[in-house]
Order: sequence, then structure tokens, then C-alpha cells
Amino acid sequence: MYEFTPVGWLKHCVFHPVEGFEDLRWKKQGSMKISLIIVFFLFVAMVADRQATGFQFNDNYVKIFNVVPLIVQSVVYYITWVVGNWSICTLLEGEGTFKKIAIYSAYSLVPYIVCTIIKVILSNFLVQEESIWISALAYLGLGWSIVLMIQAMKACHQYSFSKTLVSMLLTLVAMLLILFLAILLLSLFQQVYVFFYSVYTEIAYRIRG
Amino acid sequence: MAAVTALSMSISAFAAEPYESYIYDTWQDAIPSQNSYRIDRTVTGYDMGLQRLSDPEDPLFVSENAAKKLANPRDLYFDDDEKQFWIADTDNNRIIRLDEDLQITGCYYSVGGSTFSAPTGLYVKRSLYTDKLYIYIADTNNSRIIKASVEGDMELEMVKEYGKPDTDLYTVETFNPSKVVADAAENVYAVCSAVNQGAVQFNAKGAFQGYYGANRVEVTAAVIAQKLWRKFASNEQIDGMKRNVPVEYANFDIDEGGFIYTVTEKSNTTTDAVKKLNPAGYNIWDNVTGNEYKFGDMQSEWDPTSNSNHSTRLTDICVGNNGLINVLDYTTGRVFQYDRNANLLCIFGAKNSTNDQRGTFSNPNAVEAYKNNIYVIDGAKCDITIYSETTFGKLMHEAVELYDEGKYTEAKPVWQSVIERDGGYPLAYIGLGKAALNDGEYQKALDYFKAAYDQKDYDKAFKYAREEYIREHFTAIVVVLAVLAVLLVVVSQMHKRNKYIFKGRFKKKAKEGR
Repeated sequence: MYEFTPVGWLKHCVFHPVEGFEDLRWKKQGSMKISLIIVFFLFVAMVADRQATGFQFNDNYVKIFNVVPLIVQSVVYYITWVVGNWSICTLLEGEGTFKKIAIYSAYSLVPYIVCTIIKVILSNFLVQEESIWISALAYLGLGWSIVLMIQAMKACHQYSFSKTLVSMLLTLVAMLLILFLAILLLSLFQQVYVFFYSVYTEIAYRIRG
Repeated sequence: MAAVTALSMSISAFAAEPYESYIYDTWQDAIPSQNSYRIDRTVTGYDMGLQRLSDPEDPLFVSENAAKKLANPRDLYFDDDEKQFWIADTDNNRIIRLDEDLQITGCYYSVGGSTFSAPTGLYVKRSLYTDKLYIYIADTNNSRIIKASVEGDMELEMVKEYGKPDTDLYTVETFNPSKVVADAAENVYAVCSAVNQGAVQFNAKGAFQGYYGANRVEVTAAVIAQKLWRKFASNEQIDGMKRNVPVEYANFDIDEGGFIYTVTEKSNTTTDAVKKLNPAGYNIWDNVTGNEYKFGDMQSEWDPTSNSNHSTRLTDICVGNNGLINVLDYTTGRVFQYDRNANLLCIFGAKNSTNDQRGTFSNPNAVEAYKNNIYVIDGAKCDITIYSETTFGKLMHEAVELYDEGKYTEAKPVWQSVIERDGGYPLAYIGLGKAALNDGEYQKALDYFKAAYDQKDYDKAFKYAREEYIREHFTAIVVVLAVLAVLLVVVSQMHKRNKYIFKGRFKKKAKEGR
């Protein structure tokens, strides 16, 4: 039936939102390598959006550049999405494996990344009167990616449409839980560290006399 | 090391003023700036010659025990036509007239036999109709506004007395006017305590005209929450709730064009802190229409000496005849100066610290501007502090004057010398950018606007720059586009005939995948 290169499969998925991911699943295609590259480009797109947007459109606080929030917003969110979706859909009888979820989710991010990058490039040539193009691109990228994400999850787990939506909402809740627990863990470890450090200083003082 | 030494040296060299000058950038972060004003001198009651009032030999003699000092003066007014200062010497229940060098020329305790009681505000204007010099006094404890003509150094003649309006529209029990102004048609506007519908307005005949330019209720989370609760609450519960009313304004001033500028004492810097009202009472500096007018300090700051948070409380406003607007902050003792378009020019002045330094204030009550000086009257120290322009201030004002008139090119050399003295002054870069834009040097304009982080003007300049670029490189752009189009057609034709420029790699993998 279909014979594509891995990149060709990606293109097929992006431009055939209705059956692209079903075909991908049927043909057992999808490359983890490409997915990781896509996630990396998600991060690049976010950095570009913050730093390389044309001066007249850049409302960010450009005095300081901190890369950590951007890493969290791209890579960490992606990982928590995949983990959260996997844990929810395992319980909800989804058929997708962890790898499949990772690949399909990454594939559906492509329109958002491409639109963001085009938007950044365009913003260096447009003036504020023409900003409609930029917001149109932003909405287009976001909307397309959301549609693809729904289709991807639907195909991945072989769900009905409504069940897909429910599982995605639950995934968002799971993401929140994961991030909350992660922050809790971090602060706990920090306290444990402080405890041991104060014990160490106490001992050090005693030994020194 | 050398840099540190140089820094400490420069600090010790310029530490004469008890405050450090700063200004706000695009992000409303405070950035250091040069001093635009320095403290010239302070003038006490003795320096004004108030002892003459108790000297029997002197023509200004009032009585043996006339106060030689000011006592809690609440208002200072400068009459630009007569070049005279007027002080409402509140706790001494008198009005003092001074000449432009702040020497006493007159003193008034009463009008037509009825004495003043705690006059807190005054306004002086020569009438266009009768050519008499009229003084308007907010005689607070007597619950009246007095309009009197100045007949001599010691004598006032009552023209009209405005009491509590006798109408159902006026719902407040008391009538305690604290500040007063009058417009060219001699309509009188008074700020009254506990009246939050705006200024009380009387016409020239003395009839109550209504309220003028009310503030709005500041939208806070508490206000929204209460609005929601009101939907569910019973009538009894609603009666028990606190009413959300706007804050009445603290003071106002009127400019030559008849616009009234009001200030309100509250910490929020966006909602109605400073308003410019047209004669219909409509606020021109309205943030609702997408503009961002901000006045006073942006963040409240922690003061370690008094262990409290300083937040802006704007108490007086003065529009100079050069169009500059000075706003006095009661909490921090700072004067914020703005140009006609509400651009922040400079900030100076300070609150008293433990060491009572000259030029710091305890109760700064009023600000006035004359020539290039700023006068601030202090209600606790009972003196007037005079600020005079520094070289930087002089240059900056000159440049702003030209800039506001639209003479961008003439302002260019002045802005340059402003930048030589303060390389971080945002308005200078905007001024230079506009000059460059006027001269058609778009790239230069872009650089200047970028330095000031002025996106709106950058956008304008960018439009022209882009147009120019396309015009100059039109052939090149068309050629590049044509070549790209041809390449695209060729490649797609080749693909159709199964010829590829990049061969192999992907194709091979596809076969494996099958």
C-alpha cells in the first residue's frame, strides 16, 4: 500500500490528520530518532520565539535570558505528557506502548514547531499593522497540532473519539500530579541535604573544639 | 580595582544631594540617572520676613504676638501673572503673600471682618471681567469657600461666599473644602473631604453646578468578590457590606488651556492616580483606550529606617507655565516631573531620614514651579525648599521643550549633550531616533529606538526602512525569487521522471522498513 521513507511517513502523518496515524500504526512505522530530533527542535523553536522574534513584536523581558524555564516548557512537558498518558491509558485499556506514545506525540508537534519558526522569521520582516499574519500562524500551528495530537492518541490507543478526549484530559491531570510530586520531591531532598549538611557542620565544629 | 576606586570617588563627589536620582525604563525597572535638580536653599518664616508682622514700626504690623513662623502650611500657590507666591498658613489661620524672592508683601487674617479658620487651599487669578485680582480660599473649618478681591497688603474684600450647597444632589452632611481652583469663566471647583463624586463645582454666580470628574472604583480582587457575593446575598446582608466607593482626589491644578489635573492619594499607579480632565470632566489620560499612563513609583519599596513599606501617595500636582507637570509624593517626599505627554522626565527629593538633612521632607504638602525652580512646602518643618536646575536638567528641559514642539532636528544636538551626561536616559534616545526618522536616516533611527526599547516608534521606523530596502534592492529580490521558482519547477519535473539530486539514503531505508 504505502511506501515511504521515515521522513515521508512523518509528512504523511502531518498532512493526513484523519488516517495518517492509523496508517503509521498499521504499517508499524515511526522512528524514535526522528521523535527525539523533533523534541529538540521544539526546544529550539521556543528559544527562537523568545530571543529571535523581531524587535517590534518581542514583548519578552529580554534583559535576562534563562534557559531553564524553556527546557521545562518543552522537553520536561513532553516527557511528563508521555509518562502521564502512558500511565493513564494503561489503566484505560489503551493499546499504545510507551514508545508508540512518545513517537506519535512528537510527530503531532511538528506543525506547531514549523509555524513557530515561520512566525519568528516573518516577525523580522513585518510591522505591527500586519501582525494579523503572525497571530494567524500561531493559531494555525497550535490548532493543527491539537487536532493531530487527538488523532495520534486515538490511533495509538484505538479509542473512540470521546474516550480519547477523556484520556487526554486525565493526562493533563496526571501531568499536574507528576510535576507537583517532582517539585515536592525536590524540596524534600533539599531539606534532607540541609539536614545532613547541618549535622556535618555540627560535627565539624565539635571535632575542631 | 581601579574601576572600584573610580566609582567610590565619583559617589563621594556627587553625594551632595540626599537622594539618588533614578528614572524608569520600558519595563518599569528603576535605572540610575543624573540629578536634574539640586537643592538650592530652604526658606523659613524668618527668611521670608514674618517677624515684620509683629514689628510696630513696620507697615505690615499686625499685632505684637503675630506668629513669626509658619504653622503647618498646607498649600503653596504661585500666581504667574503677578509673580507672587501665596501660602495658606493653616494653623496660624492666615494667608501670606510673598514676592518672587519669597519676601513677605502681605498678610491676611480675615475678609470683611470674619476671620479664617484653618484655610487649607487657595487659588489666585486676575479676573478677565473686572480686572481685579481675586483670591479663592478654601476656609475649611468655616465650611466655606471665599472669593475675595485683593485690595491691599492687609485687606481683602469679600466678593462671594460659597457655603454648603442647598440641594438634594449634595448628599454629604459636611462641607469641608480643602483645595480650590477656578477656571477662566470663574467657575469654582473645590475638593471636599468625604465627597467622592468628584470636585464640587459652583458657577460664577455661586450656584451649585454639580460634580466634576469623579474617580472610578479601583478594580481589585476584593471588589470583584464582593460584586459576586452581592448576587447571592440578602438585602440585610448587602446593607452590612462595605460600600465600594472611589477615593476622592487629593489636589488639583488648572493649566492655561483650562484642563484640570487631579492627583489621588493611593498606592495604585494606573487607575486614576493622575488625571487630565477636559472641561467636560472626561479624563484624557485614560488607560482604558490602550495607552499606558503611569505615575509615581512603580513598586512600593521597603524603607529600613522606618521599617515600613513606602508606597506612592501622590498629594499635589503643579503644571508649570512651561507645560511640565510636577507631582509630589507625600510618602517618599519625591517630586516626579512629567512632560506634556506624561513622559517621565526626572525624579528628585527625599523623605526625612534620622539625620535631618536639608532638602528632605517630613510632610511635603505642596509643590509649585517658577522659572526653572521647583518649590516644595513642608508642613512639619514649616519651610519652603527651593530646587534649581542642574546643567543636565537644563539641557534635558531644553531638549524636551523642542521635542514637544515637534522640532526633532533642532533638538538633536541638545539630546546629544544630554546623552554625554547620562548615557542611559531613555527619552534622549527616543528624541534622537525621531530626529533621525525625520531626516530619513532609518537605520540610525532603528538603532536609537532599540536603545530606548521603544517598540512603537521602532515599528514606524521599520516600516520606512523596509520600504526603502525593497526599493533599493528591488531587482535583486526579483531575480532571487525568479531563480528559486525556476529551481522548484526543475526539481519537481526531475522527481516526476524519477531523477533525484540527493540519491539513496532515505530510499534504501524505506525498503528495509517494508
